[in-house]
Order: sequence, then structure tokens, then C-alpha cells
Amino acid sequence: MRGPGSSPCASCKLLRRRCAKECIFAPYFPPDDPHKFAIVHKVFGASNVSKMLQELPVHQRADAVNSLVFEANARVRDPVYGCVGAISYLQNQVTQLQMQLAVAQTEILCIQMQHEPALQSHHEVFELDQDDKAHLLHSNNNSINNCNNNYNLAYAMSSGQLNSNFASPSSIIQMQMQDPLKQESLWT
Amino acid sequence: MNPKRCAACKYLRRRCPKDCIFSPYFPPGDPDKFACIHRIYGAGNVSKMLQQLPVQTRAEAVESLSFEAKCRVEDPVYGCVGIISLLQTEIQKTQTLLARTQAEIAVAQAKHSQNPS
Repeated sequence: MRGPGSSPCASCKLLRRRCAKECIFAPYFPPDDPHKFAIVHKVFGASNVSKMLQELPVHQRADAVNSLVFEANARVRDPVYGCVGAISYLQNQVTQLQMQLAVAQTEILCIQMQHEPALQSHHEVFELDQDDKAHLLHSNNNSINNCNNNYNLAYAMSSGQLNSNFASPSSIIQMQMQDPLKQESLWT
Repeated sequence: MNPKRCAACKYLRRRCPKDCIFSPYFPPGDPDKFACIHRIYGAGNVSKMLQQLPVQTRAEAVESLSFEAKCRVEDPVYGCVGIISLLQTEIQKTQTLLARTQAEIAVAQAKHSQNPS
């Protein structure tokens, strides 16, 4: 709540109205950062933002405002794709890293199979017993499966399939959504 | 009322003119798409955004706005920023795992060069 004599919040300054004591915007749009509200107002509109904030519990409104500001900035930077462009870029990064990881895990598996201490002769290299094979394949499969599960969660894809190498923003839009986790850090 | 109104004009209960900016992207068979976008952005803002874009990019812009609006409806606090956060976390995890695996390869190769079989 505003104290007596304090200046209007950035929203009320931009909207040229009296900043009420219980102004819904005031806690999140201080007067020293007019750009923050200006950009949110440009993309979403003040009344839409007000409605969205009113529908949220008070303790979640700061995070909601920050994410709206982030989306609005992304949309102004890229008027065609907005945040979807960023999602596409990150998805491509994940795909690339997944491929590199798969190659590295295959390489380590090959090295393990070649240099098992129990194998002394050339012939034994090709005669791993069933337990050794099962152990090596199981441990490698676990790594790959855990990796893929995390990938699927991050992508919120219910199909569980990897996208092609370079996912376009259009293909991102085909994704189904599951419950995203709480954000930790955003691009500055 | 004109039965061939686009979903936007149907929703806004107005006549759908021949040059309606929404009609190429909001066919009457999908009313939810416009309803969701209108709820988050408002018709006026979407119209302004589309007017500022070249015609050939407007379809993609509508699809991305629709996606973000849907994310926001389903997660009113984080919207699609939640997905970005997830992806960033996934990238960090995969980079860590990759670095660890590459270190294991280096160790195994070093061992092999010391004790060739």
C-alpha cells in the first residue's frame, strides 16, 4: 500500500489516473521503472493485466508480473514468435546436447566392453557372460532413459519422442502442455 | 447475422467485413482459439500487433500468440516462461552429465594408454 504523499506507481502515471491506496499495480510497478509497465501494457493491456492479477493469490502476483514482463519483452523483440522463438532455440540446444550425450555414452560403453579386467584374451572380448552384458547395457540404458525422461518432462510432450534436429517455432506450437515447474531464473 | 463470420467477429458479436484482419487466422470452426487469445491479449492489441506485421508472417504470429495464451490460461503465474525455465534446467543437467561422461572417457583412455592390453 502507498504511504501518504508518495508518487503514483508507474501504471497510474502512464494511465494518467489517481493512484489509489489499494492500487493493484503499485506493488509491482514502482515509479522508477516506467518501461516495465509500458511494455506489459503494450502487449497485454492494463485491464487484462489487472484481471489476471485479481484472479491470483497475492503471494503469486510478483512472479506473475515478472513472467508477463518477460513475455512482453520477448514479444516486442520478436513480434512474430515472441517466447516461442526462445523455446525453439532452447529445444534445439537440448536436442544437440542429447545427441552429444548419446555419442559419449556409447563411447564409454565401448571402452568398458573393450577393457573389462576380466577379459584377458582377444577371444574373450567377444565372450562377455550374460551378467556382464546385462550389467553394462542396463547401466547405460538407465542413463539414457533417465536423460530421456527429463527431456520429455522439459518438453512437456506426452508422446515421448524426440523432435527433429532443428525444431521450428511452428513445431513447438504443436507440443501438448503438462504442468511446468516453478521458474528459477530468467534471462536478464 | 452473416453465417460466414470468422470466429473473432462471432465472439465480438459484430459484422465480419471482407477485409477483416482476423478472418484468415480464426476460422469459425475453432472458437476457442480466439477466445483464449482475447482473454489474455484483447482483440484490440492483437489487431494492432497483426497490422504491424507483414502479411506473410501473420499466420505464424497468431499461432505463437495462441500458444502463449494457452500456456498462460493453463498456468496463470508463469505461462510459457515455465517451459523456458524447464528447458534451461534440462540444458544444465544434460551439460553436467555430458561433462561427466567425457571425463570418464578421458580417464578410461588414459588408463588404457598406461596399461595397453
